[in-house]
Amino acid sequence: MSKSAVGRVVAGAGLLAAVALLPWLSGTDPALAVLRARSADQGPAPEQLAAVREQLGLDQGPLPHLVHWLDGLLRGDAGVSWVSGEPVLPEVAAAFAVSLTLMLGALVVTIAVAALVCARTLRQGAELRLREERAGTAAAFLAALPKFLLASLLATVFAVWLGWFPSSGWEGPASMVLPALALGVPSGAVIGGLLAQSLPGAFAEPWVRTWHACGFPPGYIARHGLRGAVAGVLPQLLPTIIGLVGGAVAVEKIFNIPGLGRLALDAAVARDLPPLQTATLVLVLLGVVAGLLVGAARRGLLGPALRDGALPALNPPALRPHRFTRWIGGLCALALLTLVVAGLSRDPLHVDTAARLAAPSIEHPLGTDSLGRDLLARLGHGALRTTALALGVTAVSVLIGLLLGMTGRVSAGLTEVASTLPAVLAGLLTTAVTGPSVWGAACAVCLVAWTPYAVQAAALFEQERATEHVRVSKSLGASPVHLMRRSLLPAVLPSVLRNAVLRLPTTVLVLASLGFLGLGEQPPAPEWGRLLSENQPYLELAPWTVLGPAGALVLLSVLAVSSATGPASPGRRTLVAVLSGRRR
Amino acid sequence: MRQSRRPLTGLCALLTLTPLLTACFAASGTDTSAGSSSRLRVALARPPAQALSPLSNDATVLGKLSVAEGLTVLDANGSAAPALATSWVRKDATTWTFELRKATFHDGTAFTAESVVASLGHAAAAKVKPRVLSDVTLTAKAEDADTVTISTSPADPVLPMRLASHELGIFATKAYGQDGTVTPVGTGTGAFKITKLTGKSSVTLDRFDGYWGGQAKSAGIDVTWIVDGSARANALRSGEVDIAEWIPASQAKLLNEDMRHEVSSVRTDSLLLNTGDGIFADPSLRAAARSALDSSAVVGPIFAGHADPAQGLFGPAVTWAAGKRVAVTGRADAASVADVKAKTQGRTVRLAAITNRAELPEVATVVQQQLEKAGFTVQQDIRETAQLEPDLLAGKYDALVFSRVTLLDTGDAVAYLASDFTSSGTYNIARLEDARVDQAIAAAAQESDTAQRQQKIMLAEAEILRTDAAVPLVHEKVVQGFSPRVEGVVLDPRERTLITTGTHLK
Repeated sequence: MSKSAVGRVVAGAGLLAAVALLPWLSGTDPALAVLRARSADQGPAPEQLAAVREQLGLDQGPLPHLVHWLDGLLRGDAGVSWVSGEPVLPEVAAAFAVSLTLMLGALVVTIAVAALVCARTLRQGAELRLREERAGTAAAFLAALPKFLLASLLATVFAVWLGWFPSSGWEGPASMVLPALALGVPSGAVIGGLLAQSLPGAFAEPWVRTWHACGFPPGYIARHGLRGAVAGVLPQLLPTIIGLVGGAVAVEKIFNIPGLGRLALDAAVARDLPPLQTATLVLVLLGVVAGLLVGAARRGLLGPALRDGALPALNPPALRPHRFTRWIGGLCALALLTLVVAGLSRDPLHVDTAARLAAPSIEHPLGTDSLGRDLLARLGHGALRTTALALGVTAVSVLIGLLLGMTGRVSAGLTEVASTLPAVLAGLLTTAVTGPSVWGAACAVCLVAWTPYAVQAAALFEQERATEHVRVSKSLGASPVHLMRRSLLPAVLPSVLRNAVLRLPTTVLVLASLGFLGLGEQPPAPEWGRLLSENQPYLELAPWTVLGPAGALVLLSVLAVSSATGPASPGRRTLVAVLSGRRR
Repeated sequence: MRQSRRPLTGLCALLTLTPLLTACFAASGTDTSAGSSSRLRVALARPPAQALSPLSNDATVLGKLSVAEGLTVLDANGSAAPALATSWVRKDATTWTFELRKATFHDGTAFTAESVVASLGHAAAAKVKPRVLSDVTLTAKAEDADTVTISTSPADPVLPMRLASHELGIFATKAYGQDGTVTPVGTGTGAFKITKLTGKSSVTLDRFDGYWGGQAKSAGIDVTWIVDGSARANALRSGEVDIAEWIPASQAKLLNEDMRHEVSSVRTDSLLLNTGDGIFADPSLRAAARSALDSSAVVGPIFAGHADPAQGLFGPAVTWAAGKRVAVTGRADAASVADVKAKTQGRTVRLAAITNRAELPEVATVVQQQLEKAGFTVQQDIRETAQLEPDLLAGKYDALVFSRVTLLDTGDAVAYLASDFTSSGTYNIARLEDARVDQAIAAAAQESDTAQRQQKIMLAEAEILRTDAAVPLVHEKVVQGFSPRVEGVVLDPRERTLITTGTHLK
């Protein structure tokens, strides 16, 4: 326990220290950023900058500010904003309450969607009718929907056209419905997809057959089968849902919600240190508290078996893939290949203002964007670099996640702290060091994207270590390396792989979301995430401008999921072989 | 039985959470009590940076909502007209006398010459000077209860126009805090008084019955700040607000024709070329870039027609500019495509744009294509202002797509020209150092006759355009959205006024 407590304190303190350095890190003048936030269009006269510097004491450097802020915190005062001069604490507290409420709403939607996604597997499992592994194409489809696009779509249809819900603001429970849906549906799909994958393992345990024979009702069996599976998936709530408190900036913007994500972003951009520090502290505390709660819930679900090393093995039964899996995967691959081949022969950068927002036609099969550029060409040219970068970032993240997951409780604090860290903050910290570049974006995303895999790996390693066969292997003298290669990794990897595949589209979008910091490919390079965000305003006027990129992302996601399905799938086989060092 | 208890406890936990949830919303709920039908619901774009302090950018909000007033106000032609002052005389080069009207502050105290002295004194003493006072110092002195003398240093020919800025609004004593902060809540003199400001999300205003200019037709205004342009358009279309400012070009088409109202803005988007060093230090290459650019390719697709092709630095919103425009002569000859290629020798034009205005990155893409046709190789760098600006001021770019307000707070163009194009200018991103330009701008700054001053400003414009340091692209138009039920919205090119006493729901 003390080990993990130390880990938490160290990780939290490290992050806060990094944030405290932010205004000074990049070598640019923080006074200029503050002046700009206060007054646009003002020429930065040297005497004005000097006045700002003197007023805020910027010449003292980061340390006195950090000490002063910490000292104030002890007295319940988080200081005043550098930009507005208003006290920080009430503002951050209000934003946190809003974001927490929204997050709870998103959690409800997530649970509902996850339940729908894995309902069929659950029913079949409880009735002992599970014969085929489902690829989870539905989950992959939903998980690939960009949240900001979903938000725009929901706002247009249900607020503007139908008038059922308010289009923006935070006035009452009704304003929570649409943003909660936009945030919860993709998250629910990821969680549901993971649950659906681990359920067959739970229902392959001997007790299910016994209970079934004894005539227990399927609902009862389902509930108990779910317990074990949920315990492995529960930690995913941390990066997926709790992370939304600070990481739902795009959706907060579209629905004009005064949440913590926007507050932190504005403060970070304006180098407004006191609110940024306070928001970071709140997120760190939230991450730690949520981590402890999730851990307690997980141990409660698994019961004494975890402690006593009496858990069943995680190995899922060898189910044959669903008959459509190959077909769906093949079709997606074919469609993507056509897209790339057809797109590569066209010019993705040619601006033709006469053909602005042209609907799909023979000349432009997927239509054109607001500058009259051919969307098929842009998709085709962007495919390779988008997928390559996203796959690379995912691979690195999975690796970091696995390594940290192995260390168990020592890294728990780091994982909790990083999982609530907004990607934008990671991006700002990275630009300060690397400057604007493609690799900067990849580094920034790697800084935060490993958390889902780390929490998952940590939980599954712990569960697998508490199985009888590992205990037996140990007592037979198996070395730790042998155990890792032969039992632990093969048990943990399939779930982590599925997780990575389901999160691939999110990685593409997060990479693009850092563009405004100068991270990533500069425009007009056709990168899929950028295609989506630059065409988002035209969702209603010219739906094809977002339909093409969104469709491509869905194709990629479904293809990835189906190629990673089944114990003998090429994707899974290679990864397991590579990572566990097994030679064929 | 043991199993069935669990969902029940879960339900109980959920129920105890419910009041907590509703409490979270109540904090931001706006008051929609009595008479809500005659109140205006408004969506503004830029949330307050400094709690609506008049000594900041937020001053424009105080003007738009008729909360605060200065001694003067700008009329349609941009000249000073009476507001809290009824008349004024220039005694000598640096001294002016203003006769004041009888008025009352929102807190019930009387407006006197002492209020003017106090308010202008606070503005002058502010640690970080408000933008409007960046090039002049004002000292006010009360002569009697309704006469005030203002002396300037140096001589300021545009003082009456300068005083129209809401940064120099007059507020009750109560407004000024010990620590230098100024709050307009319940302290202005305008037709509406602020009753409640909720952070950066909303502000509530009631009609001020004691307004000297007569009662406003609307009972009050409920303002929400919505940063996202699409969200503002959505709020207007779904009927959640009656007025939404700054509808982005991408959303304007979605509004009914009777909802969108276009007004020429004093904003001009231009391509600034770095004359200091790099590729565009060569005048013939600047000329090549200038002749390669075709702004009609920008107006149509990017601004959806809500812009005018640029005529110069000053567009149609500056009403006197077109009539006084001076032809540009003595420009360098444009290099041919072959020359461009030979002179750049494979060097890349670093083209920057900021993301804070959605249209600018798109303009940059069009500009890139046009420059490449002329033989340049172009690499874009698109970032958010705070990230990009230090590099801009350090001259790390060859070209910048820039959107600039040409009439700043004084309502006078000299301030903009001086900061952006003189060799000592604080915002001289083009790094222009040209003696003739400096002279022309200085000459305009010293001129006190309005017509002469305007003529000299246009001479300075011609001098600047001669250097090709700035290539104007478009004059923006602002699309203000309001429902057909609303009457009397003021479409102001300077974006200083929006709602006045006459604005109301039919």
